[in-house]
Amino acid sequence: MYNNKISSLSKNIIKTLLLLSILSVQAMAIKENDISSQMKLKIDKTTNLLQNKKLSADDKINQIFETFDSVFDYLSMSRIALGNNWKKLSSEQKKAFEQTFTLKLKRSYIDKLNLYTNEKVKIERIEKIKQNRIELHTKLIGQEEIYDIVYKFHKSNNNEWLIYDVEMIGVSIMKTYRNQFKEFLSTNSFDNLLAQLKIKVK
Amino acid sequence: MKIFLLIFCFTITLFGEPYVNKQINTTKQKIIENNDFNDDFDSEFTEGRESFVKSDPLSGYNRLMTNFNDFVYVNILIPTATMYGDALPSAARKSISNAFNNLTFPIRFVNNILQLKFYNAGVETSRFVINSTIGVLGFFDPAFNDFGIEEHREDFGQTLGFYGVGAGPHIVLPIFGPSNLRDTISMIPDNMLNSTVGFYHDSSITTTDIIQINTLYYLNKTSLHLGEYESIKKDAIDLYPFIRDLYEQKRMSEIKE
Repeated sequence: MYNNKISSLSKNIIKTLLLLSILSVQAMAIKENDISSQMKLKIDKTTNLLQNKKLSADDKINQIFETFDSVFDYLSMSRIALGNNWKKLSSEQKKAFEQTFTLKLKRSYIDKLNLYTNEKVKIERIEKIKQNRIELHTKLIGQEEIYDIVYKFHKSNNNEWLIYDVEMIGVSIMKTYRNQFKEFLSTNSFDNLLAQLKIKVK
Repeated sequence: MKIFLLIFCFTITLFGEPYVNKQINTTKQKIIENNDFNDDFDSEFTEGRESFVKSDPLSGYNRLMTNFNDFVYVNILIPTATMYGDALPSAARKSISNAFNNLTFPIRFVNNILQLKFYNAGVETSRFVINSTIGVLGFFDPAFNDFGIEEHREDFGQTLGFYGVGAGPHIVLPIFGPSNLRDTISMIPDNMLNSTVGFYHDSSITTTDIIQINTLYYLNKTSLHLGEYESIKKDAIDLYPFIRDLYEQKRMSEIKE
């Protein structure tokens, strides 16, 4: 009986420790007040990575995404991109789409970042649009123009602030994908769309 | 006992990550299966009047012109601009770009006034004066670089849009690229501002000169934006509607601000 008490006590301790460790990992997510400073850190880190000539391209990509993965809400983006068509998909299709689309978004983001390796990024301001929407306004000072880049945050299921859309020079990335997919799916099947996306991420 | 707990804690935090990731993935899986999202984005992303299905009567012509332009960009303009860029250092090209930009001040000034953006018109004037003097005829941009004064770009198309004139059908112009009826027509008053007040003030400039000046302008500009067109193309499933969408979205947000 004494042994049982010890083993159940150990079990409780272990459960608590596991819970604490999960919570400590969750704490890496961004809180509302930290959005500006955290994003500045991430953007600066990314700029340094891009300018680092000692790293291979693949290393750069992986490290940049380690920095940004925790703030991009790829699942919501996949859902937004498909609009009404998302509900029509099976679980497997949804997962497959999310995986491929996430890869596409990452490739696209890195591609754009590579164009502006030597340019400065200025964090302009934060706007709280609604209870559940925050916009981070930044400016990229390019060679000939200043590009407005807006990161749009929402509060996810886990109470973290995550990015669900990026607006570059007034163009919402999610809107463009949404319009593209809507037009494509009006005359093509979902499998066709998935195939097309897979070609693009190869 | 306590030391054991500490070590245990430490180990879990270090190595617990795959376990945590598995937790996150299974939570994601449940969300996907149950359609259990706490956030409705549809209202934000549903197009009203901005529907992509708006009429596109010139789509046949537009597609052809998009392909023609693509050929010209990829095979002529971009390679030439790349060579030009290799020959001329970027500082020089930026100066040329600054000078051209300074000369289009009348367009920005007048259109800011027309939209009753008097403060911005004043800002533009400051920029023009500073850059034309300290910035040596506009080749440099001390207004921004030293004083942080930013540009307020307006054109007649935005002025019309400001007063509610709709964009009209999308038109793809040869070489110039995507436009629409309103913005194409607006090129006329803007160019008049350019020629009478700015550039072509001297009537001894011939048509050949004008062509040469414009060629330099576009070649120089392209050399400062290398890689952007190719990058945009990669995101497109269908090139023409994609570029059209980008253009119209960009114009709408330009008009709003």
